[in-house]
Amino acid sequence: MRVTTYSAHQSAIFNLQQRQQGLQKTQEQLTSGKRVAKPSDDPVAAARAERALAAMTRADAHQRALEAARTVTQFAETALGDAGELIQQARETVLAAGNPSYGEGERRALVLTLKGVREQLLGVANRSDGAGNYLFGGQGTERPPFVDDASGRVVYQGTPGDTHVASDEALSISLDGQRTWLEAPSGKAPPAPASLSIFDVLDTAIARLSVSGASDADVALAVKEGVGDLDAYHAHLLAARASTGEALNRMDQAELRIADGKLAAQTERSGAEDLDLVQAISDFQNRQTGYDAALRAYSMVQRLSLFNYISG
Amino acid sequence: MTTALLSIGVRAMTASYASLQTTSHNIANAGVEGYSRQETLLATSKGLFTGAGFFGRGVDVVEVKRAQDSFLTREAASAKALSAMDQARAGYLVQMQSVFRTGEQGLGHAISQFFAAMSDLASRPADTASRQVVLARAQDLVTRFREGGTQLARLQTAVTEEVSASVQTINGLAASIAKINKDIVAASAFGQEPNDLLDERDRLISRLSEHVQVSTIPAGDGTVNVFIGGGQRLVLGANAEQLKRVPDMFDASRSAVAVSEGASLRQLDAGALGGGRLAGLMQFQSEDIVAAQVMLGQLARALTDTVNAQQTLGLNLQPPAGTVASRPLFGLEHGASGSIHAAGTNQSASSEYRLEMRVVDASQLRATEYELRSDPAAPGSWQLLRVPADGSPAVPIVPGVTLGIDGLEIDFDDATTGVPIPATDRFLLAPVTRAAIGLQRLLSDPLDLAAASPFVASAPAANTGSVSVDSLSMVLPPADPAANVVISFTGPDPGDPSRMLYSWTRGAASGSGTWTPGKPIPAPPDPDINGFSLMLSGVPVAGDTVEVMPTAFPEFNNGNALALNALGGRNLVGLQELAGGGVAGGATFNDAFVAALVDIGVRTQGAEAAAAISGARAAQAEQARADKAGVNLDEEAARLIQFQQSYQAAAKVLQIAQSVFADLLKISGS
Repeated sequence: MRVTTYSAHQSAIFNLQQRQQGLQKTQEQLTSGKRVAKPSDDPVAAARAERALAAMTRADAHQRALEAARTVTQFAETALGDAGELIQQARETVLAAGNPSYGEGERRALVLTLKGVREQLLGVANRSDGAGNYLFGGQGTERPPFVDDASGRVVYQGTPGDTHVASDEALSISLDGQRTWLEAPSGKAPPAPASLSIFDVLDTAIARLSVSGASDADVALAVKEGVGDLDAYHAHLLAARASTGEALNRMDQAELRIADGKLAAQTERSGAEDLDLVQAISDFQNRQTGYDAALRAYSMVQRLSLFNYISG
Repeated sequence: MTTALLSIGVRAMTASYASLQTTSHNIANAGVEGYSRQETLLATSKGLFTGAGFFGRGVDVVEVKRAQDSFLTREAASAKALSAMDQARAGYLVQMQSVFRTGEQGLGHAISQFFAAMSDLASRPADTASRQVVLARAQDLVTRFREGGTQLARLQTAVTEEVSASVQTINGLAASIAKINKDIVAASAFGQEPNDLLDERDRLISRLSEHVQVSTIPAGDGTVNVFIGGGQRLVLGANAEQLKRVPDMFDASRSAVAVSEGASLRQLDAGALGGGRLAGLMQFQSEDIVAAQVMLGQLARALTDTVNAQQTLGLNLQPPAGTVASRPLFGLEHGASGSIHAAGTNQSASSEYRLEMRVVDASQLRATEYELRSDPAAPGSWQLLRVPADGSPAVPIVPGVTLGIDGLEIDFDDATTGVPIPATDRFLLAPVTRAAIGLQRLLSDPLDLAAASPFVASAPAANTGSVSVDSLSMVLPPADPAANVVISFTGPDPGDPSRMLYSWTRGAASGSGTWTPGKPIPAPPDPDINGFSLMLSGVPVAGDTVEVMPTAFPEFNNGNALALNALGGRNLVGLQELAGGGVAGGATFNDAFVAALVDIGVRTQGAEAAAAISGARAAQAEQARADKAGVNLDEEAARLIQFQQSYQAAAKVLQIAQSVFADLLKISGS
């Protein structure tokens, strides 16, 4: 077969360019660390990487939603703990009022203590998360959610229920204040009311212990019923606190799951589009050697010509 | 006697000199592309008869011939045409890919971020900062869509410019070929082939092939006739036709190619061009840009329409909170919400027919355009075809009857004046093609975001079962925004005890339905209650109730933000309506983007592979042509020596003839 000089040079140049392109492509991959830089490099891998990135973004959003819920739940857990201590204090105060040696003067002092406890409890029930949201705001509330009405009774001026964050799990960013503070099961048979408000319990105890000239029997009955109601409410409070504790546990679990999911997505993305360095370096060296050899061969062959040997 | 010797010597010298000249011409043109090696053909002169037999009279120069194989030349030109076509398309596709960029800079990530911002808004509905973030992410999203749309429009402009340039080049080359045809006829009059002109014509045809696939048919007089696009003549003898870039029949921003036939223009079928850059450009324009535009538009439209629908169902915080109607978050500029193009060749005026198109369910929109034309089998009855063709059958459309198709409603009346428009008229309906480029964010005040749901649901403490409210989201505008709805469970479904029957009251209105655990209230086919969809968990017992009441404190409610966030995880793009009602299939916004990205990625990959293969084939065909026709310098060097030697030998013959003659003179002179 004839080889023509022009096309020999052309095809040598074409091949050199091809090799150079291959070398440059590998170099690009090595410097960027990515095997897939555009969809056409590997459409399937690009799709996997893109889905994994979306999953990572979702995991981040879930994590932030969970943090928001956790902050509120932790605050609520603390608030419920504080409330427990206050109720213990109230119980001791009411019990002390039952001391037969106490006269009206001592009882008046104890009633003052009880009033103090009630004010503190109201403060606890109206606590916010520091960002303007009331912990026991339910599904929206006037601010603050618990107020004394005209008759001096504490009422909840919000919507019962709790508010969830965007998550696959039921995570709350506010607790149902009505149920927590005003609707403890009384454990009493009708016609006694089925549910108890802690503020009503305290108000009743305060009122009954403040009656001047009350008989010892009246006082003893007030103390007995007051302590009984406080205990019933305390049990409800403990259950509420336990459920926030349980919610915090669930959040820890959920956080682990989110982190696992995110890690899996990261691994998936990296596996889909990142470069296998060992493979790439070996490829690069291969191409380098090939290019080098091609250059050498070209420079040697193009020197050969019959004209070099025709002289004079 | 000596004259014969002298004559032989002179002829031999002339022949050697001619050969040397051809060889030098070869050497001189070794680097010229498309040059065919030439060779001087010599022949022995007829002998002179004498009594003693024939005496040779030396050598004659017969002709200068070029080494060329017209089959290989044609093959090389046609392979070059295919390679140029593939290369043009692949080059543009590589550019188009950046519209579907992956990773953090891509549109897909902007979609994820938008819905993640909705999740943050749900966590802090009263926080202005989280509302600002939602607006910023919405703007990002709009920017990415618009960038994508703009980039596609820019590619379309580039294609148009290149088509114009290509058409000009083709016209220039065609004129040159016609002229050289004429020159060749003139030069051939002397009975010898004008080799260098023939080379030049081959070269022009090869260059023409880069732009458009041609077929050549030699005529008897030495001219070559050139045809394009399956039989359209471009050069006939010494006459060349002119091509022209014209606007597409439907869409003036797209290009078509026409040929002037006298005073009129005839549009060429882009599919019949066969090869060359022009064919690649037309294919990219009619298949790839449109595909990218409709996929992007379908996604943009589905996303913004569903988000808008949910946003307008919620309550915003414009004072007084919860009382001002919520406005949509996204909007479309004029012309972006779907356009109808009448073909430039239509004979009817727009007053003679009525054609309207409305989007009724953006989730069912398909990534396609539609052509409305008369049924070729039954002229006068009309049908709708998806373009680019996807193999689906044409859908008949009856004038005067609204057609529901792919989330669209189309009204067509072909005879508003009483006279039907001609059956040759055609229309193009493009519902989503320009949606991405015309997208805009309408809201700029964070208070306008409707994060709150108009209703809240709660299960009273008096319930004895464990039923609790999971979520409540709005799906329809409420029948009575101020009503309290009470849903009472009445007992298990006698037909299926795992389900519960319920009744409801909404003011004076009432109704009933069946609740299946894990399904919303109300679930089809139960009638709507007040626009909401309520998810419950736990187990209700007979007598338990759930109340749904108007939201009293919209600034703290996140119900609609949750519903907006949930849109991101639902299949809301390309849903297909089932024959028995309901919808199926579809993809999430993210998945729809990924599908588009894969589509373009695979196209590009395929086009690049095709370009590499046809490029290698073109190189091979050119090599085969060049190997036959090209110059090898070593060969020419050897021939130089060969002809130099024969020249020297012939000179020696002359010298000897001269000395013989001198000897003869000496004898006669003495």
